[in-house]
Amino acid sequence: MFLLTVLSASIIAGSLCGISGVLIARLRLSTLVFAIAHAALFGAALGLFLDVDPLYTAMILAILSSVIIGPLSDATGVPSDTLAMVMFSTYNALTFIFIFLSPGPTLAAEKVGGILWGSVLAVTRTYLVVLLMLAYLYVLVLALFWNRFQSILFDRRLAEAEGVNTRVYVYLLITLSGIAISVSLKIVGGFLVFSLLYIPAACGFVADSIKRMILLSALIGGASGSAGVVLSFIFNLPVGACIVATATVMFIAVSTYAYVRRRNLLSYLNLRIQSHP
Amino acid sequence: MVLNPAVELRNVTTVYSGENRPAIRNISLEINAGDYVLVTGPNGSGKTTLLETILGILKPVSGVVKVFGYDMVRSPYKARMICSYLPQDFMKKPDEPFKVREIVAMGIASKRSLGRLSREDWKRVDEVLELLGIAELSDRPIGRLSGGQQQKVFLARALSRDPKLLLLDEPFSSLDDDSRKFVADLLYKLNRRGMTIILVSHAPPKIAGLTMRVHLVDGCISSVERCSS
Repeated sequence: MFLLTVLSASIIAGSLCGISGVLIARLRLSTLVFAIAHAALFGAALGLFLDVDPLYTAMILAILSSVIIGPLSDATGVPSDTLAMVMFSTYNALTFIFIFLSPGPTLAAEKVGGILWGSVLAVTRTYLVVLLMLAYLYVLVLALFWNRFQSILFDRRLAEAEGVNTRVYVYLLITLSGIAISVSLKIVGGFLVFSLLYIPAACGFVADSIKRMILLSALIGGASGSAGVVLSFIFNLPVGACIVATATVMFIAVSTYAYVRRRNLLSYLNLRIQSHP
Repeated sequence: MVLNPAVELRNVTTVYSGENRPAIRNISLEINAGDYVLVTGPNGSGKTTLLETILGILKPVSGVVKVFGYDMVRSPYKARMICSYLPQDFMKKPDEPFKVREIVAMGIASKRSLGRLSREDWKRVDEVLELLGIAELSDRPIGRLSGGQQQKVFLARALSRDPKLLLLDEPFSSLDDDSRKFVADLLYKLNRRGMTIILVSHAPPKIAGLTMRVHLVDGCISSVERCSS
């Protein structure tokens, strides 16, 4: 039963990260979301310090960062990328301070490991229920505003020129990504959660439409999550590292497939040109 | 006859972030509803900046911009709903996955609640694709099309919205001679039906039906000429 709970949680978290990765990559918001991932990590460390569930503090910090980074950038005039890097460094420092200050022995494996490199022990049935509810909310928002998001993903400037308030929708997407990161933190860990956002998304390039890109990335995220959990159980290794390693293997497989397909296509075209000079 | 102004600019100055020199300076201009305006000028004279300031994409550091009475700094979104824009830098990378028909549909979707398109909207998308002679490209990803074809897709998107004000930035830049003539004729007809058009071009083909020519030099208006039909 425990393994089933962990597997389900890892599939959902991996899929959410896969979807977020494609959206973030299309909008070129990697730096911003990098900072938000570390805000979640800081939130988890704060949770340890306050002795509350790190999931909730991680989510609060991630959402808060998603919401303030844009207005802060506008108010200060500092480009959002630069501001994101300042926030990333600050969150890193705060993470280590609050881990150091948290009750119990400093750098205790079960305490720190849970937030830095993930732990299956942190996956409970309550966590799975929260994860399911958030995944439902995520997909619902995405489906409801899909046509707006699609227009922004294609050309944000043109969408803005046509009367779409792109800032609202972009920050909604960043907030969704912040939620996906926060809920994945327990399984994958703060150091590796960013990899689970980008490796499945990097596989999406073989798809021929944005919907298929998202679907493929979600599938690879979910498959990496489940396979990583199984490998972690078999070899008694950190679960986050196993998930990311599995995602990397899948990326290599997809890239090889794309390479072979392109070569075959080129050979076919050469043959056609030769037979019809 | 007194016409309602479609676009009003009063002492407008726009500066790009990080630049000291204004891209357009102290521009005052009034364009009436139903006008067909050609904005010319050498490279870097502020033609694109003028269009993007009118749309409110660029915020002026001083002055007032109004489109159909809407202040483009305070409430730009309502005005943009009745405008269409064809940008100059439209070219997409070869791996761009979005398909022609869905790109044109996005133009209408931005005017609809939650972006949902009705059956009539899809019919309108297909009509515009047909009108511009690119219906057979409907299911092709835009990245695989030539520059001229891509420009027609963006023009189709702009026209599908049936705008009151059409802003075109170098709409002939990637088109062949036949297509230029066709688009110029189409714009003439649309203007005759009441659409206000502002067209930016540094080397325009022969354009019929212009009501105003504005020449920009170094971010300032050097001449405004009213044309007789």
